[in-house]
Amino acid sequence: MKLPVLLAALVAVATCFETFVGHQVLRVIPKSDEELQKVQELQDLEHLQLDFWLAPRGLGLPIDIRVPFASLMLVKTHLEASGVSYSVMIEDVQALVDEEQTEMLRSSRQLPLNTNTFNYEAYHTLDEIYNFMDMLVAENPNLVSKLEIGRSTEDRPLYVLKFSTGGTNRPAIWIDTGIHSREWVTQASGVWFAKKIVQDHTNNEGVASILETMDIFLEIVTNPDGFAFTQTKNRMWRKTRSKHSGSICVGVDPNRNWDAGFGEAGASSNPCTETYHGPYANSEPEVKSIVDFVKSHGNIKAFISIHSYSQLLLYPYGYTETPVPDQQELHEVSAKAVAALSSLYGTKYKYGSIITTIYRASGGTIDWTYNQGIKYSFTFELRDTGRYGFLLPAKQIIPTAEETWLALKVIMEHARDNMY
Amino acid sequence: IPESGHKYYLQFSTEDYRTGEDAGSCLATVLYPKKKSPPVVSIKCSRTKDKKEIQEEDNRLYQRIRHQTKPITGNDIPDSYGNIEPALEPVWALAVAGSSSIMWEKSTETLGYFLAQVKAVKQWMRKDDFIEFDYTVLLHEIPTQEIISCHMRLTWLPGHPLKVKHFCASESPGMDGGSGAESGSAAGASAEKGANF
Repeated sequence: MKLPVLLAALVAVATCFETFVGHQVLRVIPKSDEELQKVQELQDLEHLQLDFWLAPRGLGLPIDIRVPFASLMLVKTHLEASGVSYSVMIEDVQALVDEEQTEMLRSSRQLPLNTNTFNYEAYHTLDEIYNFMDMLVAENPNLVSKLEIGRSTEDRPLYVLKFSTGGTNRPAIWIDTGIHSREWVTQASGVWFAKKIVQDHTNNEGVASILETMDIFLEIVTNPDGFAFTQTKNRMWRKTRSKHSGSICVGVDPNRNWDAGFGEAGASSNPCTETYHGPYANSEPEVKSIVDFVKSHGNIKAFISIHSYSQLLLYPYGYTETPVPDQQELHEVSAKAVAALSSLYGTKYKYGSIITTIYRASGGTIDWTYNQGIKYSFTFELRDTGRYGFLLPAKQIIPTAEETWLALKVIMEHARDNMY
Repeated sequence: IPESGHKYYLQFSTEDYRTGEDAGSCLATVLYPKKKSPPVVSIKCSRTKDKKEIQEEDNRLYQRIRHQTKPITGNDIPDSYGNIEPALEPVWALAVAGSSSIMWEKSTETLGYFLAQVKAVKQWMRKDDFIEFDYTVLLHEIPTQEIISCHMRLTWLPGHPLKVKHFCASESPGMDGGSGAESGSAAGASAEKGANF
């Protein structure tokens, strides 16, 4: 049909600021020569500015006319007075043009219509990720729900996806990505993980068995203010975007703000530094909201916080050299997880406690969660080891997510099989 | 070593930055004296490539750059998404080499660096055969996690050592004000392992 072509042409014209507000498209099917003639008369009236989408061809063949708003009354009266019946094909041409334009922009920007057309091989904006979450929930309402656990300093919602096949307050696994906003491969991997959980469940493989007895919570953009800042102002931004009195500098390191060795060696008290711990523990809403969630849930058994880069799997502590009581078990689980990860693409990971493997760091996430009794507390540092660092090429997103997922499964399965 | 300082014995392998190919292995000792002074380094490396191969690759790199008709300029290499324009790869390669000398000078027993990004590069055309570039590079400092902005002036001709002049200012998140180095980082931070914890 000619309609889409003409609409497209109109859109092209429309983008040159011409408007079709109030224009209608009328259809006449002439049943007699008189009727045909009446319509042809209209063609001669140039001042009406009629646009014949389907010109008069013969009896019984439709004539489509786009009539500008100003001429509508006249044309309709003319047809009615002549006893020529017509129907209104398009009530408001502009509305249709607008819709088409949106659709065109959408497809040119590849805004996905569902999570199967979503591009997992690319980095996305905050809005795109939030949109992805909504689509995932809409597509799988019996498995996935979206929780708002708080709001960021700049009042952005802090969303957590809950994957559950039922039960009440089942033992759960927590995974967060993007707590440090410049570590883009982590948020991107989080998106992939979300889809993977759904796929496994649909195909009854992988984590489907874990979901039979446990819930999974996934916070993909744990630091949305920072993330937005990396997209608009400074790609290397790490911290939150809070302003605390007494300093012109912005932001607190959300991985130094937890109540575990808070303020001790391994964090900075200078607000202008990247490891500034903040004025007090849990000063950051991004951190406080997770603390509140974990405490009120009360049944989280494994907590995994994901960073990049360095290719490491770490367990507590970072704030003290005292080994955790479960050191041996965590070390063994790490060995297994790292082996699983490497099996896919040969990516080499090192593992151990934070303080022995990298450096002393106080007020860190998994030190707090471990002290809360969440034995299986781990942190990942994903690809790479410094060649691209934070600027990991997008084509490495999926391989990174895939291999990391194998390690996560080891941890999740171990938690499930060693319930405490 | 009591009264003297800390001595480290290192054995490590190297790889080609571009291709990831094995490039040889090294044995080194690094002595950090008790009083703050540059470390004493002794190092011995074995190469996988012979001198001739290296010379040829250097010449190829050099020619690629010399063949440009206009002065090369660039920004954000790699870009936010990790992409490096093929035309700018040689310039990035030189930045990697040049900034390694900055990192060599700046590193201490407790502070290490990675090249995070080439923020800007501008070529200075010279009348002689040397090629010259002005860079702004961002170094990622461990364990402070700071991003340090350095200005680097690099000059090179194959067969000659890279000449690098640099000046680094720390880029504090507020953009103003000095960055405190009072991060309270512990001694014993491994110089090899960067992390973004």
